[in-house]
Amino acid sequence: MSQDLYRATVLEHSRHPQNTGRVAHPTHQARAANPLCGDELEVTLRLTGQHVEQVRVAVRGCVISQASASLMSVIVQGHRADEARRWAGQWRSALEGEADLPPDLESLRPLLELRNHRSRTGCALLAWVALERALGQT
Amino acid sequence: MVEAASFRGDFPILQRRIHGQPLAYLDSAATTQKPRAVIEALTVFYEQHNANVHRGVYTLSEEASALYESARAKVARHLGADSPRSIVFTRGTTEALNLVAAGWAGSRLRPGDEIVATEVEHHSNLIPWQMAARHTGASLRLARLGADQTLDVGHLLSLIGPRTRLVAVSLTSNVLGTVTPLGEIVARAHAVGARVVVDAAQAAAHLRFDVRALDCDFLAVSGHKLYGPTGIGALYGKPDCLEEVEPVQGGGGMIEWVEAQTARWGPLPARLEAGTPSVADAHALGAALDYLRPRMEEALRHEQRLTAYALERLLAVPGLTLFGPKKPVLRAGVFAFNLPGVHPHDAAELLDGQGVALRAGHHCCQPLMRRLGVTATLRASLAIYSSTEDVDRLVAGLSTVRAALAS
Repeated sequence: MSQDLYRATVLEHSRHPQNTGRVAHPTHQARAANPLCGDELEVTLRLTGQHVEQVRVAVRGCVISQASASLMSVIVQGHRADEARRWAGQWRSALEGEADLPPDLESLRPLLELRNHRSRTGCALLAWVALERALGQT
Repeated sequence: MVEAASFRGDFPILQRRIHGQPLAYLDSAATTQKPRAVIEALTVFYEQHNANVHRGVYTLSEEASALYESARAKVARHLGADSPRSIVFTRGTTEALNLVAAGWAGSRLRPGDEIVATEVEHHSNLIPWQMAARHTGASLRLARLGADQTLDVGHLLSLIGPRTRLVAVSLTSNVLGTVTPLGEIVARAHAVGARVVVDAAQAAAHLRFDVRALDCDFLAVSGHKLYGPTGIGALYGKPDCLEEVEPVQGGGGMIEWVEAQTARWGPLPARLEAGTPSVADAHALGAALDYLRPRMEEALRHEQRLTAYALERLLAVPGLTLFGPKKPVLRAGVFAFNLPGVHPHDAAELLDGQGVALRAGHHCCQPLMRRLGVTATLRASLAIYSSTEDVDRLVAGLSTVRAALAS
């Protein structure tokens, strides 16, 4: 496994994660767990209409899942729910090696290294799985 | 004459001598022999890649997981499934059928519901339905054998009605060698909202088929009848059908989240694969399919020619009773037969003394034996490596058996 994965951007987001905790009075929420390691997180959202006004993620997990959650919250916050759903699908396809990373998700590029490391792709997807579940409630 | 195919040299066990004679292996319907590539895949796995799957972050575990999942993709491709996620690894056909019986039928059938199977079935495609019927209060209805010693498809179709929830039928009979015409059966079952389970154990290595074309809901195969190792097989299911299967085994690998009193299941197919799977065997099954696929056309042609040859030779043996259809176009290379006044076990014993390995018994088809009016038969069956010499030695052996035992 390459040291590249633990580069500055990833470590920065895991040491100082953005948008942690819970949204007060969330309109949407969902949990996701990684059965391989037991990591879990909860995504809480406040939507106004189709707008994701606020995102918070409560993570108990590894560096990768924390950084991925933090990056996800920054990407999604302030955008439309359908965009968020599309990005979740695109990120999954990119991690599974089926598609390139779209420009909107450029900040996730350091985590794309996990493409060759199947046992950790779940860590990088976890927050997005919870996000999809939360948005599925609409 | 049919030449022994070039495949013969790929199977090390065929070099063995039995009681001083070269081995004529004619029991491939029970289990096929393994090509060198499969035996080597097992060794290479244990020497180079052995680790448990899906749990480790380290390189070996990732390799083992990748090989296991790659084998799943190969099984999916061989069966014509859209996605590897439609393939659940099991120990074999029996476990796959039991999984549908306990996990699907067991949780969904109610008193008054009906399961339709046939009296031609191998016990593995009969007893699980007896158990499911007993457990749920559903009833089991069996289509009969026709006068021509093939499944009476008309009778089977007439049994499918508004109360039918499940139809279980084999693709190739392991006794009669017949191939079931599934098209109309599947269409009728679906028209009444029933699911169709296909036992393809006997067909998987000897017939070209495709689960999409068959449109069946579940289909079961065994690795060891497909030139792969024992202890590995698969259940194919359409995605929405597999979703309806309740896990019948709980344990590691099949969960998303566990609390002290409850658990949430993980995604398919892992949900139905509790515990450490047979990783090396799955990998070696993948190697068997890698071996078979490029040779499949030639193998099937070879088996068809040899089936016609064997049929002609066996039917020329004085007094021999062959069960099932007599025309080669109607059957696979499986021949159940008896000699007058000779018990099959005695015949098989004497043939073994000449290096000829074939099966004697009820072939796990007691209801069918009863319908055929016998308790047991001899059975010779062919595969990719079988030769005219194997058939010739069987036929020669039968005349010595007859001379020694016939009354």
